[in-house]
Amino acid sequence: MSITPKTKRRNLIAPAEPKTQRLLNRRKVLTGMAAGAVTLSMGPAFLRRASAATGPIKIGMPLALTGPIGIVGQQIKRSCELWAKMKNASGGLLGQKIELVVEDTGGNPAACVRKTQQMVDRDGVRIITGIVFSSEALALAPKLKEWNTIFMSSSNGDGRLTADALVPNFFRPNTSGPMGARTVSLHLRQSKSNKIAALGLDYAWGHNSVQVFEEEMKRAKKNFVGKLFAPTGTKDYATYIAKLKDLDADAVFLVLQGDDNNAFLSQAKQFRLGEKMELLTEIVDLDSIRAVGDASLGLMGSSRYSFTYNHPKNKEFVALWQKEYNNVPDTFEGESWQTMAVLEAGILKAKSIDAEPLRAALETVELESVKGKLTMRKCDHQAVQQGFMVKVVKREGFSHPVPDVVAVYPGDVTTPRCNKTSYDD
Amino acid sequence: MGAWRGLILVVAVLALAPLGLPPYMMTLLTEALILGLFAMSLDLMVGYTRLVSFGHAAAYGFGAYCSGWLLINTDLSLPSAVFVAAIASGVLAIGVAWVCTRSTGVSFSMLTLAFAQLLYAITFRWTSVTGGSDGLAGIPRRPGPFGLTALTSKTGFYFFVLGLLVAAFLLCRQLVNSPFGAVLRGIRENEAKTLALGYNTRAYKIAVVALSYALGGLAGALYAPFAGFANSELLFWLLSGQVLIMVIVGGAGTLIGPILGAAFFMFAQHQLSSYTESWAIYFGMLFIFFVLFVPRGIWGSVAARLRRPAADGR
Amino acid sequence: MQLGTLALLLTQTANVLSQTALLFFLGVGLTLIFGIMRVVNFAHGTIYMLGAYIGYSLARVTGSFWVALIVAPIIVGAVGVAFEAGILRRLYGRDGSAFLMVTFGLALILGDVVQIGWGASALRVAVPDLLSGVVLLLGEPFPDYRLFLAGFGVVMAIAIWQVLERTRFGLLIRATSQNPEMARALGTDVQLIRSGVFGVGCGLAALGGVLASPLVTASLGMAASMIIDAFVIVIIGGMGSFVGSLIGAFLVAFVQVFGNFYLPELAIAFIYLIMLLVLIVRPGGLLGKED
Repeated sequence: MSITPKTKRRNLIAPAEPKTQRLLNRRKVLTGMAAGAVTLSMGPAFLRRASAATGPIKIGMPLALTGPIGIVGQQIKRSCELWAKMKNASGGLLGQKIELVVEDTGGNPAACVRKTQQMVDRDGVRIITGIVFSSEALALAPKLKEWNTIFMSSSNGDGRLTADALVPNFFRPNTSGPMGARTVSLHLRQSKSNKIAALGLDYAWGHNSVQVFEEEMKRAKKNFVGKLFAPTGTKDYATYIAKLKDLDADAVFLVLQGDDNNAFLSQAKQFRLGEKMELLTEIVDLDSIRAVGDASLGLMGSSRYSFTYNHPKNKEFVALWQKEYNNVPDTFEGESWQTMAVLEAGILKAKSIDAEPLRAALETVELESVKGKLTMRKCDHQAVQQGFMVKVVKREGFSHPVPDVVAVYPGDVTTPRCNKTSYDD
Repeated sequence: MGAWRGLILVVAVLALAPLGLPPYMMTLLTEALILGLFAMSLDLMVGYTRLVSFGHAAAYGFGAYCSGWLLINTDLSLPSAVFVAAIASGVLAIGVAWVCTRSTGVSFSMLTLAFAQLLYAITFRWTSVTGGSDGLAGIPRRPGPFGLTALTSKTGFYFFVLGLLVAAFLLCRQLVNSPFGAVLRGIRENEAKTLALGYNTRAYKIAVVALSYALGGLAGALYAPFAGFANSELLFWLLSGQVLIMVIVGGAGTLIGPILGAAFFMFAQHQLSSYTESWAIYFGMLFIFFVLFVPRGIWGSVAARLRRPAADGR
Repeated sequence: MQLGTLALLLTQTANVLSQTALLFFLGVGLTLIFGIMRVVNFAHGTIYMLGAYIGYSLARVTGSFWVALIVAPIIVGAVGVAFEAGILRRLYGRDGSAFLMVTFGLALILGDVVQIGWGASALRVAVPDLLSGVVLLLGEPFPDYRLFLAGFGVVMAIAIWQVLERTRFGLLIRATSQNPEMARALGTDVQLIRSGVFGVGCGLAALGGVLASPLVTASLGMAASMIIDAFVIVIIGGMGSFVGSLIGAFLVAFVQVFGNFYLPELAIAFIYLIMLLVLIVRPGGLLGKED
């Protein structure tokens, strides 16, 4: 299924009109008006630019802090705040303090674009991060060039952002949706389960991941028995559960999140679906596990980040987090931490926060992060990184079940081909 | 005449705004004017004919998708795409109105809501044309016609929006003060009586819904190239509720009021959400405050105040 | 093993009934409020969500789901009465848009109060132990809790119907709904009826919220996902009609369960198509009167 018309792709990566032309147009419009007024309006803008060069490093965060997915925005905010606090305590970056400019978008792309525009124009922000929804990210991406701003993704899973919809100033240090689907597929290759079904949310992310998964299953010579899509905000999953039973699958791949994920897992447990088939999910997170409690036990899936991953960098981070927040970090808290580590490495390498040198530096970042070895890929700005398969289990010392890492797949098999959302083998 | 002087003054101030305001304020102002046009279009139905639409987002979203699709998939210039989209909204409205005007009161409101939600569902499903849940992104402001590029820049686009808003306002003002407008007011006050006087009230209602949708579609058609994207939220019932609130906050049946209401709504939400994460609480209180203490809306109250001293002086 | 046709049909029918019960609690409150006050309550979804959250806290503190089920609707009903007495009461005689704005405002306020009070994370409400098992429907496990929902829905529907038909309070409600001036002239305290009905309507929505929480958790997304369904139910059934809300709830549940099963492509459009068809054939809804 083609998700976007061809022309749209072209427009997404088409360069914005040159700056000189814009200035020219402006002048045309201003013809007949007092020339002094021009300097009046341009003046403050120049002053702001100047102060941006010497002042603190401002990072714009247009986040969905309220609304149904507000929890993701809250996680990203917490993580970046801790990172900024740590950096500032040791003198900042390049001798400059870090300042986070946080705004609530409510998850609305229109508000997201408007507020980011304001951050760029008024606050002199040249780096943005934390955008929660793919719809917001897709709306912002075409504007990055005009704004001369770098977009560091920490939660955007939409595969196309590093494929068809890639723009030069976009970077994705986090795990994408197709990578999650791939990790589950790699796990299933070794599994006895043969009849496989999929259930995804009826929007771009769900369709994208299910499509990648279906191709994977066909290549693995599994019997793919069917795919279902539920509209976002579905309250009653009984009919989908009945259909999955009717398909008689051995395993089902789930691409659900937030309220939908919680509703499905709670109701699947009540219908004893887990006794009939293996439940595998694209994204396991603590927030959902806490919300559904024991109904999540036994669930397996890929994890974009788990605090249980055994790695020195991760242990250090979890200890720091526990000290600060008296809690363990969740998925997007770990992902944001990794994104900030990549950004930091890029800034130090470029010795600048200007888009041009920073972009060049980010394209070659290599580091050990909380998720292990990470290499930024120049060709599509996706970070090559490990994939984690986890199982939700009870563990002593925790009031809720926790995801336990059961398998780790190296970055070169979990990351798709350059500029693609699919895999070869 | 006082009213003309006032209008010219306001337009002159708005025309000079790009000189004094920083770019991000211009972005806000442009969006406010677009929303103002949208709210004003609804006022024709709500304020002048008492046809309370709960589905006006249908006009806005439809217009936005039309112009967005045209700008992405055809070589039409910005102004042409915007006008085609507005006309298309008006044509769509004739069908919608033909069905909805069979009912009155709350049933009318509910039918408009049903149409808007159906359109929302179709947009969500018809991925090959609408982009489904992603919507259309990267909508360009294509120059032309005749190689005209002035409208595609930020400032040029602002003047384009301002010009269309002023033109639409003058058109509506002319209309409501004409015999046609008198019939609309007749329908508002007492439809049975108007019908008895020999007017085909249903035809009048269909006409006003079509015009209202065309102007609402025009606003949406401007929004798509302004924001660079169009998505299904532009068709959602929430926006229909919000635009109705803009009309009421500003003052229904005044044309100017809804424009002010839209600007107020947008600036208040934008600013409040910058200060506090709990902006929704204050926003909610603001609505209740308006209903209790400014029942005629912003412009309704101002106009009443302005009129009183004048009347006393006579 | 694939499901037998009969087992599938039975399971799905039971699903329709349990879902009808949940939707009915929401729809009947909304329709009663509209019938008496001509108020389209845009806060109804948020009230339902508030019920779920208060129920969560009560169940946690007392350790009993049943206490939550009884007490949460009373608390939320009291909030409704206070809102009616404090604000709505000043607005009777104004047009519908005034009510749109204040109830919209209330929805924004309560939505934020919930986020501040309970946080942004979804909260778990366990199925009561008594109902955590399954029964076998032709060999297929079906949750006891859903059967309870269906049964409880039937009991409550009969109870509400009896109250409306048999009691003095019900008589006054019907009288006020049909002709408030006449009711007032006959010595009815219309003001009291309005407060009472608004409170009861909110309480019923809260009851729905508490009952839904073991299925969907208590979450901030509850309000938005439910309000439009509630509207559709009331519009299809006819605004102000008790039996209409029951039929509307059944139709919506039926479409969601069977429509999503057999025609998933049309699922989200289906319910609006039905609504449109009903309104075109009967502008006031199936059992409503056009006004």
